[in-house]
Amino acid sequence: MRWVGATAVLDYLQNLALANWVRTSPSIFAYTTVLAVHAVGLAIVVGVNTIIALRLLGVAKGIPLAGLRHLYGTVWFGFWINLASGILLFIAEANAMAAMVAYWAKLALVALGMIVAALLRRCYFDDVASVQAGVVTRVGRNLAIVSLACWYLALIVGRLTGYPDLVAGWLGMGGTGN
Amino acid sequence: MWDAVTQFLTVPAMQAFVNGHDWVWPVCEMTHYVGMSLIVGIIGTLDLRILGLFRFIPVSALRPLIPWAVAGFIGNLLTGLVFMTGTNQGVTFYTDNLSFHLKTLFILLAIANLVVFRIAGLEKQVYATPAGADAPVAAKSIAALSLLSWVLTIFFGRLLMYNDTLLLLLGM
Repeated sequence: MRWVGATAVLDYLQNLALANWVRTSPSIFAYTTVLAVHAVGLAIVVGVNTIIALRLLGVAKGIPLAGLRHLYGTVWFGFWINLASGILLFIAEANAMAAMVAYWAKLALVALGMIVAALLRRCYFDDVASVQAGVVTRVGRNLAIVSLACWYLALIVGRLTGYPDLVAGWLGMGGTGN
Repeated sequence: MWDAVTQFLTVPAMQAFVNGHDWVWPVCEMTHYVGMSLIVGIIGTLDLRILGLFRFIPVSALRPLIPWAVAGFIGNLLTGLVFMTGTNQGVTFYTDNLSFHLKTLFILLAIANLVVFRIAGLEKQVYATPAGADAPVAAKSIAALSLLSWVLTIFFGRLLMYNDTLLLLLGM
């Protein structure tokens, strides 16, 4: 999994002045604030996607389907916050993060969540006739379920990046976890 | 009285349980994050609607989502108690922690805010706001305070483990 090129890139990122500052500064505005902001962004992305999915699954039917896609603006707000804070958190510990299966699994789940959101737009929200009629099609409901699965799995797996030894132990990869 | 609180929250059996099973802490953390997302996603969206965004939603339409946020809150109270009673650093890690005090303060502020919202009769007026209409002005300051309180609750919650950086900032 490790080849020379990747190691060089990770070392380069981790030795950037910005990465060093995030990792080693005792200032509250370094690692601590970036981590806290990442948690706020997570709550926005997961929480608002939950509202959209729940509505499509029949909860809060009073929310007009025609306007529901406007909630994606807030999802994007949280997404950009987390892309920026996530890049900082990654470069701060590039080697350690890149070595974690949980980290790549989380990124994959986030990417999948975004693809599902795009599919929801194409396959459901752009289906003006159904949306205007207040009908949630089968594809809309199915995608809502997949969306919920992606975001909550991303949250769960993301939290696991804090426990590399535990995960390595579970995967039988010779971690120190019992 | 403070001693009685720390005494009450010192539960050796819970400490033994958490220490003896390495999955307990991360699983409670995940649950805590799920609850956090439900609270901020749902209450935050309601707050933003009251503040004038998403006017396509009649405010009362958001009401069926509230129980999901309440469930998240109850889940987080329970997992929070597991953290406090289960940490091998002892409950004083939390009770002597400025970030934890601030987090608790903002949760209480959010709850007090909600009580005022109900008692002042604003809740009824707000839920009567149809699609396209503006919520009462008095409700907007309540909504802004609610949004701020929940965001700061997450912020200081995450700071708990890095309380040193807060003390350094304050020169303490």
